[in-house]
Amino acid sequence: MRPVGFSTGALAKGDYRRGLELQRALPRARAVELSALRDHELQPLLDGLGELDLGGLDYVSVHAPSKLGSLSERETFERLAALPEAWPIIVHPCIVHSFAMWRELGPRLCLENMDNRKTTGRNAAELRVLFEQLPEATFCLDVGHARQIDPTMALALLMLHEHGSRLRQLHVSDVGPRGEHQPVRALARWAFARVARLVPESCPLIIESVVPPDRLEPEIEAVLEAFGPMGSGAPGLDASAPPAP
Amino acid sequence: MAESTEALDQLERELGVRWEALRTARATTERILEELRGNLEDLQDPNCSVIVTGSLGRGEASRDSDADWVLLVDGPTDTGHTRLAREIGRKIHEVVPKEPGATGTFGDIVVSHDLVHYIAGTRDSNINFTRRMLLLAESRAISNPLVRERVIRNVLARYVLHDRAVTSTTTKGRFNTIPYFLLNEVVRYWRTVATDYASKKWERADKGWATRNIKLRFSRKLVFTWGLIASLTAKLFETPTLEHAETEEEHLILLSELIREQTDVSPLELLARVAQQPGVELDTAGRIFGAYDRFIAALSDPDFRRRLESVKFDEAADDQTYESVRGASNDFREGINALFFDQHAELRTLIRRFGVF
Repeated sequence: MRPVGFSTGALAKGDYRRGLELQRALPRARAVELSALRDHELQPLLDGLGELDLGGLDYVSVHAPSKLGSLSERETFERLAALPEAWPIIVHPCIVHSFAMWRELGPRLCLENMDNRKTTGRNAAELRVLFEQLPEATFCLDVGHARQIDPTMALALLMLHEHGSRLRQLHVSDVGPRGEHQPVRALARWAFARVARLVPESCPLIIESVVPPDRLEPEIEAVLEAFGPMGSGAPGLDASAPPAP
Repeated sequence: MAESTEALDQLERELGVRWEALRTARATTERILEELRGNLEDLQDPNCSVIVTGSLGRGEASRDSDADWVLLVDGPTDTGHTRLAREIGRKIHEVVPKEPGATGTFGDIVVSHDLVHYIAGTRDSNINFTRRMLLLAESRAISNPLVRERVIRNVLARYVLHDRAVTSTTTKGRFNTIPYFLLNEVVRYWRTVATDYASKKWERADKGWATRNIKLRFSRKLVFTWGLIASLTAKLFETPTLEHAETEEEHLILLSELIREQTDVSPLELLARVAQQPGVELDTAGRIFGAYDRFIAALSDPDFRRRLESVKFDEAADDQTYESVRGASNDFREGINALFFDQHAELRTLIRRFGVF
C-alpha cells in the first residue's frame, strides 16, 4: 500500500497536536505533514517538537508558511532550517525570493506547484525556472492544484515527465475555484488516476481534503482508489463516455 | 503578453519587406487590449473570463473595429453574472464604441458546459459551434486567462482524448496523431461560415454583403487554415513531449495539450510558421502575407470600409473598391493553394489523405 496520511492543517488547521491525535486513530495513515501554514504557527511547532509522539509514522514532512506577515523571509528560513534534517519542507514558490539562502536546504526544500491564484510555479515551465535556481530542491506535486487549472491533467503529466525525478510527496484533495481543499470525489479520482502510473509506490500521499472526523477513513479509501496500487483505480478511456441508451 | 510574431518577422526579413498594415494592426490591438484590461480590473471573478475574438483576437484590429466579446463562465451559476456582463459591456464600450455584430453571438454570457458537452449532435447550435471554434482559433482573454485555458483544454479533451481512432494501437510510438473529430469540425466550420454568408446575404437583402464577402475570402479562410494546421500539429511540428507517453491515454492527453498550445498562436503566425517549412517557396509566403497586408490596410481605412459597405452586388464586378480587395483575395487564395497542395513537403500528402475524404 502506498504511504498515505493527512496534513494536520486539513485536520485541525493550526493545531498540529490535535491533527496528529485525529490521525492516530487511522491505522492506515502512516505519513503526516505537520502544517504551519500561517507564519505565527511556525515557532510553536518548533517549540513543541520534543514532546511530539510520532510513533507509527513512516514519513513526516512540514508545510512552511504560505504567506509571510509577522516573519521575514530570513526568519522563516532559519526556523525551517532548524527542523529535523530528515523532514522535507514543503514550500510555496511565492515566499522564495533569496534563492542563494534557500539553496542551503538542499533536497530538504520541496517546492509545491501552485493553483490559479498564484502567478508562478503552476506548470512545468514555471517550475523549471525555479528548479534552475534551486537545483537540489525536490518536488511536491499537488494534484488538486494541477487539476484546478487543467482538468485533463496534461499539466500534471508534463510536470511529472519533466520534474518526476525530484518527486518527494503528493498533495491530494479536490481544489475549488478559490483554492478550497475539498474531498476527493469521482471526477477528481478519475482525473488523478490518469497520472498514477508516474507516481512511484513509495511516494507519500498527503491528503489535504477538509473532511469531518467520521469521513477520514473514506477519504483515505478514495485517495488510495485513485492512486494505488499504481493507479489501479484508473477507469480507462471509455469510462467518461456517456451511458448507452 | 503580446502574441509571438517570430515567424512573420523572419519572413519579412527574408523577403526584404515590411507588412506595415499588419504591424500597425498588431500594435493597435495590443493597445486596445491593454486599455480593456485596465478598464475591467474591478470586474474580475475566479470563474469568469472576458474573451475577445474577431479582429481583436487575431491581432488585426483598428480603432474602428468592434469588440466581439463574451463573458465565459466556467463554474457555479450566479444571477450576478447578468449584471457582471452588463457592466463589462459598458466598460468595453468606453474603449471600443462600435457595437458587436447583430447575430447575438457576442456581448453575452457563454457557459462552458454548452461548449464542452454540446459538440455536434442535436444539441449543438450554429451559435455554440461558432463560439467554440472561435475560442480555439482566434481568442484572447482580457481577464483571467486560466479560465479560457481550462475551457479550451476541456473542449480539446472532447475532440482528442475522448475520440479515439479505430486504428489506435497499444504500441508506444505508434499511437494515432490525427484528431479526426477536431479535423472534421474545422472543415465543418469553414463550410458553415461559407454557407452563412449566403444565408445572411439572403436574409439581409444584400446589406453589408461586400464586407462579409471580403472577410470570407480573407479572415474566415485564415481561421480555416489555423484549424487545419492545428489539427495536424503532431505531423507538422516537433513533438518531443509525445515520446514520453507510455499509454494511449497519456498520448492523447499530451497531443491535446500540443494542440492547446496552438490556441495561443495567432492564425497568421501559425500560417507563417508552416510557410517557413521545407518546400514552401519564399515567393509563396510573400504572396500570402502581402495579400493579407493589403486586406488589413483596406479594412483599417474608414473611408474604404464605408465605400465597401455601399457596394451593390450587381455592380461589384465594375466597382474599384471591391475589385481592389477581391484581387488581393485571389492572390491570397493562390498562395494558400500553392502552400497546401503543391509546395509544402508534408501538407500536400496530409490534405490529400485526411482533408477531404
